[in-house]
Amino acid sequence: MSELVKISKTQFENVYQCEFNDGTTRLCTKNLAPGFSVYGERLFKVEGIEYREWNAFRSKLGGAILKGLKQNPIVKGTKVLYLGAASGTTPSHISDIVELEGKVYGVEFSPRVVREFLLVAQHRPNLFPILADARFPQYYRTLVEDVDVLYVDIAQPDETDIAIYNARFFLKENGYMLLAIKARSIDVTKEPTEIYEMEVNKLKEANFDVLQVVQLDPYDKDHAMVLSKYKGK
Amino acid sequence: MKVYIVEHAIGSFAYDEQGKLVDFVLSSKDLGKVVDALIENEKGIPLPTTVELIKKIKTEEVIVENEAEIPYLQQLGVKASYEIHNLGSKVFRESLPKVAVETKFVSSENELYSFLYDVSFEYTRRKLRSAASKRDLLAIQAIRAIDDIDKTINLFSERLREWYSIHFPELNKLVEDHELYSTIVSKFGYRNEITKEGLEEMSVNKDLSTKILDAAKKSIGADITDVDIRSIRMLSDTILELYKIRSELTDYVESVMKEVAPNITALVGPTLGARLLSIAGSLEDLAKMPASTIQVLGAEKALFRALRKGGRPPKHGVIFQYPAIHSSPRWQRGKIARALAAKLAIAARIDAFSGRFIGDRLNEELKKRIEEIKTKYAQPPPRKPQEQKKKEEERKSKKGGKEKRRGRR
Repeated sequence: MSELVKISKTQFENVYQCEFNDGTTRLCTKNLAPGFSVYGERLFKVEGIEYREWNAFRSKLGGAILKGLKQNPIVKGTKVLYLGAASGTTPSHISDIVELEGKVYGVEFSPRVVREFLLVAQHRPNLFPILADARFPQYYRTLVEDVDVLYVDIAQPDETDIAIYNARFFLKENGYMLLAIKARSIDVTKEPTEIYEMEVNKLKEANFDVLQVVQLDPYDKDHAMVLSKYKGK
Repeated sequence: MKVYIVEHAIGSFAYDEQGKLVDFVLSSKDLGKVVDALIENEKGIPLPTTVELIKKIKTEEVIVENEAEIPYLQQLGVKASYEIHNLGSKVFRESLPKVAVETKFVSSENELYSFLYDVSFEYTRRKLRSAASKRDLLAIQAIRAIDDIDKTINLFSERLREWYSIHFPELNKLVEDHELYSTIVSKFGYRNEITKEGLEEMSVNKDLSTKILDAAKKSIGADITDVDIRSIRMLSDTILELYKIRSELTDYVESVMKEVAPNITALVGPTLGARLLSIAGSLEDLAKMPASTIQVLGAEKALFRALRKGGRPPKHGVIFQYPAIHSSPRWQRGKIARALAAKLAIAARIDAFSGRFIGDRLNEELKKRIEEIKTKYAQPPPRKPQEQKKKEEERKSKKGGKEKRRGRR
């Protein structure tokens, strides 16, 4: 195992970069729940602060940052609604970034993975686990509030529509949306770039300013992260 | 007057057409009740606070967000329609922390979020549990399969030992572990093909491997042929396969138990937890049992004998497998068993009917009680010679001096 040499800040708040003695660098975040590793990632202690390695192959936001995301709307104190929280890999890093001042509402539909998500949320008071279907925001409206950032990673054919519907419910005016598009689950027969364009157009029609489309290969094949800004209802 | 009704875990709020808060009814802080209402709401039943609010403000027309609520609201005699993210919900959800503090639901923002955290946890657990219903029956079958496999492994291993001993009788005594014995037979076959390196690979310690090699050289066993060895190996391969299935089933039981009975699992571990479910019949059956019954589950024979003949009842059933019980001195076991059974009863009821996780707390309390027992009853109770004798005589006459009382299965 390579050893940690240096930890430095990145251009994004609360996102760090660690360098190893074998010359590689990786992302990491400050661990909000010291001592707990969420998905087997390594933990480092530097000057009394514990950092968690952020595996870009396991987390699309991590991949997007390494692939040149220009702006990360998620900073300390941000309120995030996260659709498709799965077992909590990326939500745990977001929870690290927003710290206790921020809130992460994690919606996930599959009971199987929610079981693991609960274990992650157990040690993070800013991470709210919600077992519900993102198609029906009216069911979890009783548990959340308006948010600064909507993060959507649900791999459904109608993902963008679901995201827009949720934005109408919960996204603040001038709030940001991060949409992870998995081209292969929207239409396997079309070219991924064609699909990204299609989805981006949908967003524009729904009053979003699309700021950037980041392709995620090699971290995730045929995936893209779309950063957009909501101009209001 | 037309009002927008906003429903949230902290209560129901009415806004007028200018987006001003008209009136509100706050939720109770009883987690169970709040979550019940939220889950019912998905079916279209308005929150109890909404009903109360509508009666209070005497309005004719309301606008809600959940379409399914409309028929219920009409029954209350108001005109109802729905509009998602209406003026009211927009104002409310934009300023949730402020509203919560201003309406005095909580005294601080932190308090609000810790309430919401508890509610979403409980809500998610409850939904998870209904999704996982009947999974307890799967764990029960799996643990029974494990028991069957154990019996089969023993049976087959005894046969293998008898059979292979014709060729290499000394190995029987040297290797007590069935799994290792089968591995040796499967890997080497003939006794003179056993090698030091091969044994090392199975991480047999040096001492034992010299003994085995030594015994193989001087064995008094008969010579056998390839055909014989092949048949013997088929049996030992089967035993090894059974061990593999067993370990996979154990993992399976663990994952299912953590899901359906997290509190029981936290207390006694997945295997013993599944055994308790298996004897009780189901998680719900176990939850309905008194602690005193849970304490002696698995010792039915001893219990009914005691009841019939008036002897002393057993102190523990399968929970004897709990390390703190079987590793403690005899006179402490009954007390520990009683404490454990009491915690198990609580755990089973929460697992079956609520799904909250309080395993850590239960465990802590139990550890404390065990500690207390250990210090308070460190010494064996003083014997009362005469009483002891009398009792023993009594017992002898009743049972014909044959049966010995047993606390476990």
